[in-house]
Amino acid sequence: MRYFFGVLCLILCLGTNAVAASNEEAAIVKNCSGTAFIVRQQRTLTVKKSERIYSGDLLRTGRDGTLGIIFKDNTILSLGPRSELLIEEFHFDPSRGKLSIVTRMLKGTAAYVSGVIARLSPQSVRFETPSATIGIRGTKFLVKVEDGGEEE
Amino acid sequence: MKRAAVKATSWVMLLFLGACAVPEVKTEAVPVPDAGRTQVVLMPDPDGKVGEVTVRNRGGSRKINQAGQMAEAKDGTSAISTQAPLAEGDIHKVFGAALAALPKKPVIFILYFKTDSTELTEASQTTLSSVHAAISDRQSQDISVIGHTDRTGEKSYNVALSRSRALKIKKFLISKSVNPSIIEVDYHGEADPLIKTPDGVAEPRNRRVEVTVR
Repeated sequence: MRYFFGVLCLILCLGTNAVAASNEEAAIVKNCSGTAFIVRQQRTLTVKKSERIYSGDLLRTGRDGTLGIIFKDNTILSLGPRSELLIEEFHFDPSRGKLSIVTRMLKGTAAYVSGVIARLSPQSVRFETPSATIGIRGTKFLVKVEDGGEEE
Repeated sequence: MKRAAVKATSWVMLLFLGACAVPEVKTEAVPVPDAGRTQVVLMPDPDGKVGEVTVRNRGGSRKINQAGQMAEAKDGTSAISTQAPLAEGDIHKVFGAALAALPKKPVIFILYFKTDSTELTEASQTTLSSVHAAISDRQSQDISVIGHTDRTGEKSYNVALSRSRALKIKKFLISKSVNPSIIEVDYHGEADPLIKTPDGVAEPRNRRVEVTVR
């Protein structure tokens, strides 16, 4: 039993740390107002201008919050109030052919202008919501995802 | 005694296990009608062009390709519906705050170099001063400098040359008192050409450094 826990824990910890270490810098905060947070590895950080954002980060705005970021591939994204969006995956390494940008919107409103990854490899860009997947061909669009109804 | 120790170890490990677990983002709230309903509105690009967006779920997929047009997914399984373009006022009522927070498009400068050299062409020396102007104008805190070459010479030589070109530009920006910690340097050798050519072809437009000011 002892060994079981020990080994299990070791495996899980190594796994988690490996994931943490490989998280790629994805974007930088250009605009923010009101309450806006980044949830990173169970910690909630207040967003400041020029803050770096990594893949795996969850972005969250409060009732008066907005947030605007620019990804490394020049994709531009912003959130209106009461919004949540997860940067699920981001790789931008054209020389090795590693390209992907996957964002998952949980609630709220967003504006999105696609960047270089959408131009080089449209199939590597995905914008997910609870009820749909949005495929993008070099363009600007707006998304609204209805909340679960719980008011803050 | 030994047994107690084993038990204690197990508990400590269990606690540890909890602390190590990957944070799970809870997304599913109590089911509420319309929760998760998605509306997508297509907008003209910053340069005025209108692109195309496909919205799909298990109920099928729909394309929208007119400015202001909307696609809606009620849930993950019902068919997606589309609507005629929305009025600008209605778009702003819902998306005004998000649109106001949307950052300006980054500016990209391309600086060209002489053959097999880290020396800029004359025209690009002028461009270089506009790079510096754009950095101060946007109060940029994020600049990327990426070096490239054409396809004459060995691949590995070109990787080194593209690196030297990028570093040369970084050095110039630092000399204009740009903070070095906000300049990110990368280099792609001959792998990321602007103009695709066969191997061994000299192409001046690929001998370049791309500077992105965000």
